Amino acid sequence: MYEFSPVTERIQVLREKIRNRVIPVDSVRAVAITESYKRNDNKIPMIKRAYALKDVLEAMPLQVEEHELMVGSLGAEFCGSSIYPEWDGESWIPHYVEDGIYKKGEDGFYHTPKDDVGPLVFTEQTYRDLAGIKEFWKDHRATVPIREWQPQGFELFQALRMSSYTVEKDAITSPVGHLTPGHEKIIKVGYKALRDQAQNWIDEHEGDLMADNFSKNVFYSAVVIVCDAVTEYIKRYAMVCKDEAGKTVNEKRRNELLKMADSLEWISENPARNFWEACQAAVLYQLVLQLEAGYPALSFGRFDQYTWPFLKKDLKAGSITREDAQEIVDSVFLKLHSLYRVFPPIVTASTGVNTYYHTTIGGVDPETGEDASNPITFMVLESLGRLKLHDPTISLRVNSKTPDKIWECALATSKLVGGLPLFQNDDVIIPSLQKEVGFELKDARDYSLIGCQEIVGSGNDFPAPNGYNPPHCSIHYGTVLAMALNDGKNPVNGVQSPIHTGFLYEMNSIEDVKEAFEKIARYGLHWLVSMNNYTEYLSQWIISHPLLSISMEGCMESGKDIVQGGCKYNSFGGTATGLATIVDSLSAIKYMCFDNKKCTTRELYDALMANWEGYEPLRQQILNEVPHYGNGDPEVDRFMTWVQELYVRLCSECSSARSKKYKSGLYGATDHINQGYRTWATPDGRKFGEPIADAASPAQGRDRNGPAAIFKSACCFDHHKYMNGMALNIRMHPSVMSNDEGTAKLRDVTKNYFKNGGLEVQYNVIDSATLKEAQKNPEEYKDLVVRIAGFSAYFVDLNTDQQNDIISRHENMI
Amino acid sequence: MNAEKELTGKIFDIQGFSLQDGPGIRTTIFFKGCPLRCPWCHSPESQAFKSQLSFLAAKCVGTESCADACVKACPENAVEYGELKDGVKPGEKKQLIHVNREKCTECWKCADACYPKALSKCGTDYTLDEVVKIALRDKMFYEDTGGVTLSGGEVLSQPEFALELLKRLKEEGINTAVDTTGFVKWEVIESILPYTDLFLYDLKNMNSELHKAVIGVPCELILENAKKIAAAGGKLQIRIPFIPMFNDSEENLRLTGQFVKELGDAVTMIQLLPYHNLGSVKYTRIMDNPKIFEATPPSDKKVQWAKEILESYGIKVGIH
Repeated sequence: MYEFSPVTERIQVLREKIRNRVIPVDSVRAVAITESYKRNDNKIPMIKRAYALKDVLEAMPLQVEEHELMVGSLGAEFCGSSIYPEWDGESWIPHYVEDGIYKKGEDGFYHTPKDDVGPLVFTEQTYRDLAGIKEFWKDHRATVPIREWQPQGFELFQALRMSSYTVEKDAITSPVGHLTPGHEKIIKVGYKALRDQAQNWIDEHEGDLMADNFSKNVFYSAVVIVCDAVTEYIKRYAMVCKDEAGKTVNEKRRNELLKMADSLEWISENPARNFWEACQAAVLYQLVLQLEAGYPALSFGRFDQYTWPFLKKDLKAGSITREDAQEIVDSVFLKLHSLYRVFPPIVTASTGVNTYYHTTIGGVDPETGEDASNPITFMVLESLGRLKLHDPTISLRVNSKTPDKIWECALATSKLVGGLPLFQNDDVIIPSLQKEVGFELKDARDYSLIGCQEIVGSGNDFPAPNGYNPPHCSIHYGTVLAMALNDGKNPVNGVQSPIHTGFLYEMNSIEDVKEAFEKIARYGLHWLVSMNNYTEYLSQWIISHPLLSISMEGCMESGKDIVQGGCKYNSFGGTATGLATIVDSLSAIKYMCFDNKKCTTRELYDALMANWEGYEPLRQQILNEVPHYGNGDPEVDRFMTWVQELYVRLCSECSSARSKKYKSGLYGATDHINQGYRTWATPDGRKFGEPIADAASPAQGRDRNGPAAIFKSACCFDHHKYMNGMALNIRMHPSVMSNDEGTAKLRDVTKNYFKNGGLEVQYNVIDSATLKEAQKNPEEYKDLVVRIAGFSAYFVDLNTDQQNDIISRHENMI
Repeated sequence: MNAEKELTGKIFDIQGFSLQDGPGIRTTIFFKGCPLRCPWCHSPESQAFKSQLSFLAAKCVGTESCADACVKACPENAVEYGELKDGVKPGEKKQLIHVNREKCTECWKCADACYPKALSKCGTDYTLDEVVKIALRDKMFYEDTGGVTLSGGEVLSQPEFALELLKRLKEEGINTAVDTTGFVKWEVIESILPYTDLFLYDLKNMNSELHKAVIGVPCELILENAKKIAAAGGKLQIRIPFIPMFNDSEENLRLTGQFVKELGDAVTMIQLLPYHNLGSVKYTRIMDNPKIFEATPPSDKKVQWAKEILESYGIKVGIH
C-alpha cells in the first residue's frame, strides 16, 4: 500500500479554517467596476476593460493570514469572494435579502440559510451597494444585445426547449473562460518584460498605424495598463507582508514574512527565482485573472511540469527540503480551493463548492515524449489525499511508460477522495490532438485538462470547448429522440418543429427511427452552434481579455486578443451527455417492436405519451428483458457506435468565423440530471423527469457485468474523435481496493482499457450503505467525497435528487 | 459433433471482472450442484443439482403493478399472495407473493411471466458454445495472468462438461482455473489436469471426523487428491474458509500449514477466506424456513494471527 506522509500542524490548521469557512462576500469589486465603467463609458471596449481591471485591483483590500505561505483572496477578506456585475448585474444577493431568504443575524451580518451549500456572510453595506448598482447594469451587461435582437427562426428553436439556451434569461452569463492560461510564461518571463514588449511596439509605431496596426495598438495599450495594474497589486502584497512582519513577535514567522515580502516585490515584475516564487506567481496570476473577469473553468495547467525545474534547482542547491516543498504544494492547493467565486444557491446545490481550477499532473515531456512525472506529481496527489481535498479537480495523465509507483499513489488517492484523480490516456489524446485539432507534436504532448473533462493546449489554445455560451453547450438528445418519435413535436410542451418525422407507429424498422433521430439532431445542433456564433461575433468587439492574452502563445506576437483569434490554436466544441439513454431506447424499440413483436409500435408510442402510466408491465419488461448498453453485448453496442458516429458527423458540419473545428465531447457534470427534468419519457423505460445516462457511462444501474464489460462496451466507438474530452464514471465498492492485489488488478484493467483505445476513466470508490448513512447523518460524513461525471463534490453538499442518483448507480461489487 | 453440441452444463451464474478467484482479471463460471453441505455456505443456490425457483422480494413490484402476472401464470396455484410491503410513496403498499414450494412443480411459467425478474430460474443449461462466447467477451482484459475460473458448487460433479469446456478454453489460449472441493474421484481430476493451469483447492479441516460431522464427508480423499495433483505437476492455490469454532484452532492451522508445506512448489499461495454472513440473505430466496449458520465473523486480529501461523511454514498467504 502506498504510504502518505504526515500533514504539518500549520497546514492542518489552515485546512480546517478553509474547510469550515463561511465565505465573506463583499461589494468592493462590484462597486469599483461599476464606477470604472461609468467613468470610461465612452472609451472603446478593450481599453475600458483594461481600466476596469486596474480600478478593481486598486480597490481590493489585501491581507495575509496567520500560518499562510501563499497570499491571495478573491474578496476583501481572507477566503472572501466578489460579485461580477458585468455578467450577473446586481447578482441574486439583494433579491434574496428582499425576499427574506438571507436574514440578518444577531451579529448584524446577513447569513444564508443553514442548509445552503457554501454558506455566505455579508454586511448591510454590501447589500446596499449591490442593490444600488442594479439600475446601471440593466443596460450595460454583455448580454444586452442578444436579448434585444435574434436571427430569424430563433424564436421557434428556443420554444422547442431542445437545449437550455434561452435569451429570456441571460445568453452570456460569463466570459468564455474554459482554457489553460500560460502560467509558465508568467513565471518565466514576468510582467515587466511583457509590459516592455507592448510599450516598445507602441513606441515604434507612434503616429504610423497602418493596415491592422491600429487594432494592435489598442491591444498593446491595454496590455501596458493591465501589466502595470498587476505589478502594483503584487507590490502592495509585499507591503502587507512587510507590515505584518513588523507586528510579528515569533522570529521564525517574522523572517518568513520578510522573505515572502522580498519575493513578492521581485515577482511583481520579474521571473521567479525559486520554487516558492514560481508557486506564488502562478497562484497570483490565477487570482488576478479571476478578479478581472471571473472566468469559468480557468485551469491551473500542468503544475508539476512548470514548477519542477524550480524545485529541482532548489533541492540541488540545498535551499529547501522535500518536506518544505510538500508544505508549499499543500498551501497552493488550499489557496486555490479558497479562491472561489460565489454562485447562486441554484448552481451550488448541484455543483457544490467548485473552483474548476482543474490541474493536470503527469504525462510526457513536450520535447522528448518521455514520461515526465516527477516528485511534484506525487506531492499534488499527497495534498489531495492527505487533506481530503475534492477541489481543485486533478487529472493524472498516464501513458504506457507511467511508473507503477504513480499508479499506486493515484489509486490510493482515489480511495481517499472519491473519484480523484481522473485518469487521462496520453496514448490516445496526443496523436488525436495532432490529427483532429491540428496541434504540433510538442504542443499535443503538452496538453492539459480543464473544467469537467475538456482537453486543451497549455497556454497556446483558445479552445472554447463549451462554445461561447458555456452553460448551453449541449443539445438534449433525449428530447431529440422524444421529438423524433412524435413527428418532430416535443411532447413536454407540444411545440412543433419545422421537421416532420412521422410518428413511431408509422415507422416500419429501426432504420426509420434512426433516420428521424438524425434529422431532429441536425436541426438542433445547427441552431445551437448558430447561436454560439452570434455570441462569438458579439464577444469579438465587446469582451476582450488583455490580461489573459499576455500569457497565451500567439497573442503578444500578433497583437491580437484571444477573442479575436490571437492564440496559436483556435477551436470550439460541445458535448453530448448520456447517449446511452438513446442507445438503450433504440435497443428497446428494436427488441420489443421489430424483432420479438412483444408489443406494437402503437402500444409503445401510447405508453410513452402516457409517461408509462398504466403500462408498468411493459415498462418492467423493457427494464429487465431488453439488452442494455454497458454489458459488452455487441448487438446493443452497435447502436452506440452508430449514434456516436452520427454525433461526430454532425459536429463536423459546424464551424465559426474563428474556427473551422467544432470538437465532439462526452461529458456533462450534473447536466444529465437537469436534462432529465426536461426530457419526456424515453423508450428505455425512463419516465419524464428522471435523469438520463451520464456522460459516456452506461445508464444508471443498467450495467450488470462489471467494469470489464463496461470497458468493452466503451471501446465500441473511436475515442480519438472526442478531443473535447469524455467522462466514463465507474463506481467501485471499496473492497475492490482492500488490498494491494486488488489495487494492482484495478491498475491493470485500467491500463488494458487504455491500451484498447480508452480515453479516460474515473473511479468512485464508495458503497451504497455509506451513502445512505451519509444522507441521514450529513454531519458525520463531511469528508465523504464523490465524483459526478467530471467534477467531485462533498456528498453531503448535494441535493437529495443527486444523492439518490449516485446511490442508484450500479455498484460494481466483486 | 452432434453429441458434443448437445452436451450442457448447469450454470447458476457467470461473473465478469472477478478479482479474487485466481490471478489477474477473470470471468468466473459458477457450476450448480455440490456433494458437500458446508453450513456456512454463502452460495446456497449452488448446492442443489437441479434448477430452483428463486424469489427476490426486493425486485418484486407488487401484484397490482403487474396485474398478477405470476399468480395467473402458475397452473398449480403455487404462487400465493404473501406479505404487504411499504412502497416508495408514503402510505403505499405493495402486495408481494409467496411461493408454495409444496405445490410448485418447477415449470418456470411464473418466472417467464415475471417482468421485473423477481421470480427466476436459478440454474440454466448452457451449451459449450454459449459459455465460451461469454467467457471470450472479456478476453481483452485477461492478458497473461487473468482468464477463466470454473467455480461452483462443485465443478467436477459435472465432469464431462467441465473437461470439454476446459479443452475449448485452452484452444482459445485462455488461462484456466478450477475451484474445487477436491472431493471427487482422482480419475476426474486426472482427466482435466492437462487443461487446468491452476486449482483453487479448498482445505477446510485436517480432522477427518470433524470434517465428516460438519460437512458430511471425510477429508482423506481431498488430501490424497491434493498430493496427487502436486506430484503430477499441477499448480494449487489453497483456499481456507476461516470458520469460527470449526477450523480456527492453532492445531488445525499448524496441521494445514505442515500439509501444504509438504506439497512443495506446487502451491502458489494460501488464500484465507474469513467467514462472513452476507450469504445468509440468499437462503430465503430458494427455500422456506432455512437453517442459517450463525457465527460472528472473526476479528481482523484473529485473521492476522492465523495468517502469521500459516506464513511460518514458508508459504505466501493472502486474506480475501
